[in-house]
Amino acid sequence: MSARYRKILSVLAKRWLLGLVDARLGLVPSGRRREAFARQARLACEELGTSFIKIGQLISVRPDVFSSELVFELEKLRDRVPPMNYEVIREVITGEFGCPPEDLFSSFEKEAMASASIAQVHRAKLTGEARPAWGDPLPEGSDVVVKVIRPNVEETITADLEMARRFISRVKKTGLLRRVDVDSLLDQIEASLGREMDMRIEGRTAERFAFNFRRDEGIIIPRVVWKRTTKSVLTMEYIEGWPLSELASARKAGIDTHALALYGARAFMKQVLEHGLFHADLHHANLFATPDNRIAYLDFGIFDTLTAVERENVAHVLAALVYRDADRALKYSSGLGVKIRPDRIEKMRLELGRLMDRTLIGGSADEGPDMKHFGMGFMSLLKKYGVDIPVGYGLLVKSLVTVEGVSRGLYPDIDIIDTARPFVTRVLAGSLGDPARLKERIPAAVRAAVRELLV
Amino acid sequence: MSNDFIRFLAAWALVHETADEGWKAAVSRGGEAGRGKGMEGGPEAFVDGLAAMVAEEKERLKEEIQKGTAHPASDSPADGGSMEEIRFEIGLIRARLETMETSLDKILKRLDEAGGRKAPSSSGEK
Repeated sequence: MSARYRKILSVLAKRWLLGLVDARLGLVPSGRRREAFARQARLACEELGTSFIKIGQLISVRPDVFSSELVFELEKLRDRVPPMNYEVIREVITGEFGCPPEDLFSSFEKEAMASASIAQVHRAKLTGEARPAWGDPLPEGSDVVVKVIRPNVEETITADLEMARRFISRVKKTGLLRRVDVDSLLDQIEASLGREMDMRIEGRTAERFAFNFRRDEGIIIPRVVWKRTTKSVLTMEYIEGWPLSELASARKAGIDTHALALYGARAFMKQVLEHGLFHADLHHANLFATPDNRIAYLDFGIFDTLTAVERENVAHVLAALVYRDADRALKYSSGLGVKIRPDRIEKMRLELGRLMDRTLIGGSADEGPDMKHFGMGFMSLLKKYGVDIPVGYGLLVKSLVTVEGVSRGLYPDIDIIDTARPFVTRVLAGSLGDPARLKERIPAAVRAAVRELLV
Repeated sequence: MSNDFIRFLAAWALVHETADEGWKAAVSRGGEAGRGKGMEGGPEAFVDGLAAMVAEEKERLKEEIQKGTAHPASDSPADGGSMEEIRFEIGLIRARLETMETSLDKILKRLDEAGGRKAPSSSGEK
């Protein structure tokens, strides 16, 4: 047994015991018990470093598999690690480009401006003009940020995942993990990490976002410097502003946080319902408020896509939330892959209706709909009835909840469902005008009109 | 016959008038709901919201016609959109070529360092 394997086992055992103590040996109510173990799981990830922080972050976007308590606790994982020595970064850049940073940029700050477990970021200045795939060229001398993947991080993560596989295969023999397909989950995590560690994919996703938001002046996507980008290095435009985690400074500078909250929420609805490509990791550090009252999106490592048919189904599900129509929500969720056994539909419909009444109508005049409690309740309801939740569906619900949380941080009274209204109306009206659908509906409409005229 | 015809026109006028009043009311309700806190009141609210959006679009169209900038619905936006999409895809291909060029430059530099540089310079000397 390797030293690393022993360390993993000892940290997991320690955190499990601490969780047991926090949960008063399991005597507290189940929700609090899950919260106690979720907190210890987060601390274990932080203690075990890079791979586990990354795995934890990926678990936090999988409400389809894990409990809401764990998902929202792991969302807090922030991997701030001490920056690596400049010489190491210089070596990576030289290895990627064949020449050192001083030959590639007119200036390169040796001190990192941010440092995480997978990569660290340095500020630099461009030597010549750079042309992104979309948008105006970046002129010579522009400020840029250079994100550099730490050396050997891929090997470390692969080795840790391998160890996790061995550990899980032992646990599986005990029968504890019967409900979860852990092997396929680990495969998905591995694939997701692989995507995150290829900076070219992140650059292309950023460009696609920039193209999709080309007519929205309120949104900024940093432009990519392709001639200074490789698999392990991503160079992007530097954006001046405040991360939403530092709102006090932004407010002091006169930023209209109310307008930003509304605009940000609408921008998310646009991603989901119009573009079919949405940012699935919208926490406070990935969003910036700029001095000219715009929102900048950063970090495009985790995203998801929706087809036109899926977008229409999502619009119907959102319309169901707007109207609090449980029937419609279940009907169109099935179009998104949520398959419910026919004999359970009626019971689920009743429970979902109650959940909607409880969470989507404010308890008092000051309270608006609460998407977080609705989302958590809905996921639990699906799990309770043994419904398999498609990955994308879970991610979408989770993203909606996160956007509500971020928007409420900016403007506490925001009604996230209400921001969806114009988009939902447009998508549904568009589907009404679909020639195939019109052809299908005309005979019934004519019959109804004739009946109306004759009676 | 003429009485029937007049009755028909009266019915037509009545239907038009009622529809017009209903439409105006829907636009007004939709506009109000947009400024309100939430969207309650079932599918009727959808029709009201849609009516308000159509009214907004109508005003925009009226303005465009007055300015002489209106285009037929099937004209430029879609075409412009697909042209932009093509430009973007070409931009992405160029981006891929730029990163590829960077990688090729790196390989050449490594070859130079490994002694490959001597070959072209020696051939130049010939």
